Amino acid sequence: MKIVACIKYSHDVSEIKVDPTTKELRFAGVPQRVGNIDQNVLEAAAVVAEQYGGTVHGLTLAPHSAREAFREALAMGLADLTIVDSEQLGADDPAVTAAVLSAAIAKLGDVDLVVCGETSDDGVSYQVPPRVAERLQWPLLSYARNIVYAEGQLTADRDLDSGMQKARTPLPAVMTVTQETNTPRRPTLMDALKAKKKPVTIWQPLEDLGLSAEQIEARDKLECLSEEGIVVHRKQQVFTDSDMDVVANQLIDALLAAGVVKEH
Amino acid sequence: MAKILVYSEEMGVLEELLGKANAAKSQGFDEVLTAVFGSPPSTEQLAEMGTWGADLIYTIQDPALESYHPETYTDALTGLILEAKPDLVLIGATKRGLEISGRAAERLGLGLASWCMDFSFDSQTNDVTAECMIYTGLGKKTYRIHSHPALATVAPGTFRPQAQPDNQAKVVDITVPISEPVLQVLENNEKAETGRRLQDAPVVVDVGQGVRERSDLAMVEELAQLLDGQVACSRPVSSERDWFPEWLGLSGLKLAPDLCITLGISGSIQHVIGIRDSEVIVAVNNDEGAGIFAQADYGVAADLYDFVPAFMNALKTRGIYKN
Repeated sequence: MKIVACIKYSHDVSEIKVDPTTKELRFAGVPQRVGNIDQNVLEAAAVVAEQYGGTVHGLTLAPHSAREAFREALAMGLADLTIVDSEQLGADDPAVTAAVLSAAIAKLGDVDLVVCGETSDDGVSYQVPPRVAERLQWPLLSYARNIVYAEGQLTADRDLDSGMQKARTPLPAVMTVTQETNTPRRPTLMDALKAKKKPVTIWQPLEDLGLSAEQIEARDKLECLSEEGIVVHRKQQVFTDSDMDVVANQLIDALLAAGVVKEH
Repeated sequence: MAKILVYSEEMGVLEELLGKANAAKSQGFDEVLTAVFGSPPSTEQLAEMGTWGADLIYTIQDPALESYHPETYTDALTGLILEAKPDLVLIGATKRGLEISGRAAERLGLGLASWCMDFSFDSQTNDVTAECMIYTGLGKKTYRIHSHPALATVAPGTFRPQAQPDNQAKVVDITVPISEPVLQVLENNEKAETGRRLQDAPVVVDVGQGVRERSDLAMVEELAQLLDGQVACSRPVSSERDWFPEWLGLSGLKLAPDLCITLGISGSIQHVIGIRDSEVIVAVNNDEGAGIFAQADYGVAADLYDFVPAFMNALKTRGIYKN
């Protein structure tokens, strides 16, 4: 089975700061790395390949300068990695990302299964996997847990929040995983050493994937007019007395003053 | 005539979208459209949707829509958009809504703005701009959506239902092409209804991974009851420990109680987004450096197992109550 694991080179959202006066989003020092959800993607792809036979090929849309950031991903069971080289593509409209990824998947050729995170750590649009599935005209097995492959079909429990839906699909297909799908492996030192030798291919979106600038522009339907951080003002008053009875009464006084509780 | 179409398979979310759509008539929308897929809705159901603000309800009755299937529902949503010819479509950002809206948008070549918090509509040009949450709620971007119709997903809990008791909806039954699905649904296991409406709770006690044992929930429940509150939790407490069917946060419920008391919550933005609209937030965490303290009005940097019993004792002694 030829499996493509789609990986998002993501901002660590927990490190993004909001300037309280200008509401500007501060990215200085915010690391970009393979996302947390992508660890689940790599694990799910590796498990399917190990249990049922196959190879896993990493695919990402990222600046080529980021290649070192994928070392650990390569150590998590990838045979190789393809970076579609771009700093900006898909920054606003996930439809652009989906067009680039599906063109790359077509070029990789004979792909049986594409595995994606349900959504990326930073973009969080949930749009890329369904859009990729639609472009490829493949079924989408999303939010998958308990993944089993038998008789040419992939079966999984789909976590729809309001319930679980067991579904089965023939291949080729696109599958998405959630943070609950599995527990990602820790690569061994040996895995890490082997990863250094694994091939990394860089493709240019226009030259190598045959996309034109006009095609990409036509898909970009979301024009960003402004951006700002959301500033929430909280009192941030911390009670520090070591006597819990004192703290409990201080908190009650504060809640009474705020008018959210009453006293007999 | 400008039209806004709203869709969610969850009635509660649909009521919220209808509320916002109705309010948007002041921006120049003339008609609020919605739809029901699958078995024919009862007269009462249709009447109720009218009282939440629907002017026109499309019903698409097809055996392939009787239970949720991502492919047939995508076909239905696509067909509905083509038939209704709206200017703006709002879709509830449930797991189901997210997968079918992404796919339908791609099929129709439309722009889809995710996590819409508000929007404006220019009735002269039919231009839609949408204010959307980005970076899991840390910030927002305003997009002009260059497609007609414009599509947007809206998180549950973003808008409030607005009853329109005298409003009556017209009902139109339509047929749209639905393909034979490739994916096969084998089983549906709906989670049991809890009968709780966390959205209505004036006080919420929000449990994180700092609460160690399931049996400790008895103490947490007791605290909630003292204040007429309900107990809710973070994603891992629901999805990994399975203590509660739903969680608070970006991918879960968003609540706006008068008072939210978090116990053992670390304070990731993905979780905070679910409680950020609370009037007052109290955080209890034994880690003084926990991010939740920056998101809270009052912080108690102590072991919740020491603090909660003392707090309940003080609440009882002083006769503190909620309403």
